[in-house]
Amino acid sequence: MVQQLENDKGLDASFSAEVAQYLTFILGNKVYGLDILNIKEIIEYGEVTEVPMTPDFVSGLINIRDSVLPVIDLSKRFTGESSRHTKRTSIIILDVKNEDLSIELGVTVDMVNEVLDINTNEIEPAPALGNNIQTNFIKGMAKVDGALLILMDIKNVLSVDEISQVGSVQGAAS
Amino acid sequence: MSDEGLQIFADEAEDLLSLAEQALLNLDDLNNITDTLEGIDDLFRTFHTIKGAAGLFGLNTIVDFTHIVESVLVKIREGALTVDDEMVSLFLSSRDHLEKLVEHSLQEGEVLDPDLKQNDESLLNKFSVYLGDSSGAILTEKNKLTTGQLELSDEDDDGVINENWHISLRFGLNTLRNGMEPASFISYLNNIGEVKHVTTISDAIPVWAEFDSESCYLGFELELFAPSTNKEALEEVFEFVQDDCKICILPPHSHIDSYIKLIEDLPEEQMRIGDILVACGALTTHEKDNILSTQDKITDQVTASGAEQKVPPLGKIAVGQQVVQQAVVDAAIKKQSVIKQQQGNAQQTIRVNALKLESLVNLVGELVIGSANSELNARRLGDSDLNEAMGNLLRLVEEVRDTALGLRMVQIGETFNRFKRVVREVSRDTGKDIELRISGAETELDKTLIEKIGDPLMHLVRNAIDHGIESPKHRLAAGKSAKGVVNLDAFHDSGSIVIQISDDGGGLSKEKIITKALDKGLIQENQQLSDQEIYRLIFEAGFSTAETVSNISGRGVGMDVVRKNIESLRGQVELKSAVGKGSTISIRLPLTLAIIDGFQVRVGDAHYIVPLDMVEECIELNDALHGGDERANYVNLRGEILPFMHLKEMFGMHPVATEIVQTNKNDECRENIVVVRFAGKKAGFVVDELLGENQTVIKPLGKVFQNLKGISGTTILGSGEVAMIIDIPEMVNRVIDSGQNSFIPQQHSKNLNCNF
Repeated sequence: MVQQLENDKGLDASFSAEVAQYLTFILGNKVYGLDILNIKEIIEYGEVTEVPMTPDFVSGLINIRDSVLPVIDLSKRFTGESSRHTKRTSIIILDVKNEDLSIELGVTVDMVNEVLDINTNEIEPAPALGNNIQTNFIKGMAKVDGALLILMDIKNVLSVDEISQVGSVQGAAS
Repeated sequence: MSDEGLQIFADEAEDLLSLAEQALLNLDDLNNITDTLEGIDDLFRTFHTIKGAAGLFGLNTIVDFTHIVESVLVKIREGALTVDDEMVSLFLSSRDHLEKLVEHSLQEGEVLDPDLKQNDESLLNKFSVYLGDSSGAILTEKNKLTTGQLELSDEDDDGVINENWHISLRFGLNTLRNGMEPASFISYLNNIGEVKHVTTISDAIPVWAEFDSESCYLGFELELFAPSTNKEALEEVFEFVQDDCKICILPPHSHIDSYIKLIEDLPEEQMRIGDILVACGALTTHEKDNILSTQDKITDQVTASGAEQKVPPLGKIAVGQQVVQQAVVDAAIKKQSVIKQQQGNAQQTIRVNALKLESLVNLVGELVIGSANSELNARRLGDSDLNEAMGNLLRLVEEVRDTALGLRMVQIGETFNRFKRVVREVSRDTGKDIELRISGAETELDKTLIEKIGDPLMHLVRNAIDHGIESPKHRLAAGKSAKGVVNLDAFHDSGSIVIQISDDGGGLSKEKIITKALDKGLIQENQQLSDQEIYRLIFEAGFSTAETVSNISGRGVGMDVVRKNIESLRGQVELKSAVGKGSTISIRLPLTLAIIDGFQVRVGDAHYIVPLDMVEECIELNDALHGGDERANYVNLRGEILPFMHLKEMFGMHPVATEIVQTNKNDECRENIVVVRFAGKKAGFVVDELLGENQTVIKPLGKVFQNLKGISGTTILGSGEVAMIIDIPEMVNRVIDSGQNSFIPQQHSKNLNCNF
């Protein structure tokens, strides 16, 4: 039985019939994709309370129906540069599962586009060089209508351990 | 039986077992024989109740086990065995075993795993030693009684009759047919006490023509000398013939006083007369049921006849049936009326699922936030009626909040009492004589806190015994009494609860700590440390002052873990020690983890909350305070030096340049200092604006900010904005530390202000 399952998996991989849905959004001038399974909701940007003594990419805290969630400035985290907040700036609320604990948090993006169906066989591994963002943030690249879409590895982008570590170092140094 | 029923059984058994532990530990303290017997009675009742309940669920292992324990207890009660240390230990371990059995029955049912089984058998073996010995003792005692009977009978004539039980028996017609032998009951009574006098009542024997040789027509009036028995036990003798015989057991007169005393000592509960009499042992359950059915019959007759006649009360019938004396009934009636008076403040408890309570507290949290929002809007509308109504509503919400939070408060006494056992065992293991003194047991604390503080406390108590208290020999040599004392104390202090563990042992040697810390590389040579800093080293990871690690301490839970546990509860731990005099460890915990009264301030664009309990006062920061020195980080507060810092600066927002201070001065809103106090230390924080009190529902910061110092949580304001709660203990320490640094000569250096 187990073996059979593994075989099935192998078949799937070789035929690559699997389709996953990705939410596309814009950061700076690039289009990125995020697996929708991680996404809880999308809200308008507003009322973010800054938290002192935290790294720059932590925007602050928001109140979502009486629970307080941290918000990460994705642009800052990704490219090191914060983008200007416009009318289209949104916060995507994510449920990130890291091993056995799951954490809800929000990420700011410049604009949310659409949800795309992407075949797994259309996804190529991330290029080793040639990007000004850390490659471990990238799960892969997908070609959609001739344009390149960067699929984010949300676990690495929002690695809680890393964020909280950075927080403590900065806090101590300031 | 349903799982639910089983769960209730397990819950009750848990309560009973903790009672049993209490009783056992009390037993340990007692030298007084009557008190000991009372304790044994308590124990017996506890085990008996568990046995009964376990029987109901068919948990035979538990029934069998408790039965043996009970038998030993009975022997003790009869005086055939005396309680010694070893026995108390055995009872304690069997209590633990029983706890495991109950737990086990919940999970896997009847089948025991090998470990439990072995434990079961070894304990039973130990008990059977007592039982074996005592059954021998019983035998000899019995012989003694039968031989001594003649002598005693003589005494009987001297009019000691009052000391005897009076048993009146009227055997039923079918007694013989049922295979019962009246004489055997009477001779069996000799096992319990001594039958002094038997009068045979033959009135019931009919004329010869109607006489049936298989029927029993006899009745007996017995005088039984049995000072150590009780009514229930006597009734048990006649258990098999109870149903068709008429049995009256009247206790000796000397018992009347003890019954009355027992009635007075009964717990303050609303009880019926019958139950009171049963509880003190004057009436057995069976007798009570009989009387009640008689009463019912009379009631039926009265209602049938329609006459306006009063149904006689239970007490009257009981006296009439000669099962209790009038004096006892009077005492019971008195007790009942006293209880009725106190009914108003009677304490009744309801078991509530912890989850339900939690969701209630959460709901109250939402309610608080919601009402703050409504108030904000009402104030903006400026309608005076609406505002007044809102004010009333807010007051109610506050009350609801306090009550809801109060539901989760439990007294710390129960947790403290658990340590009696620990102290007993550990002191035995180490060969030290130690007394545990408990005070402040009635101090209330949030249940979640109590659960989490148990382990760290346990470690500290063990530490105090193992490392703190010296051996009796050393103590005597040091001119102290051989008996060491460990004190557990709890009290409230400005919004937090303080738990203190102190011992009168050897105290901590600073030199030893420093040597050790140097060894471990925790500090540098020539480093100047204050006493407090030296003691704080104890709580560093990888530190242990005891030269030998015994099995009591050094179980892998170091003091650093204790500190971490306490800090994770937003608490603080502090140690004071004097060589040769002992050490005191103080744990400071917040009163509750859910909702607090907060003081709202603004710093920059963000709003912050300071726990109101810690706020001493608010003062305006002006030239008069810091003597015109803009750079000073302390002010003269009514002759007292108060170190302070700008929150803005601490939070690394914008350095407070002189120009900004200047502009602020010209501004409408002046800077204020919020003076806070924590653990006896005072410090001030400069904030941009004071916004007043509000109710703060604490929302945790979450994993992402786990390493963030200075902010202990967040909350949602009435406006829906998020505000952060300032971690005052952490901040006060920072201010004080930076204050100490500033006494270094170049105190006007700009760097020092930002150095944290």
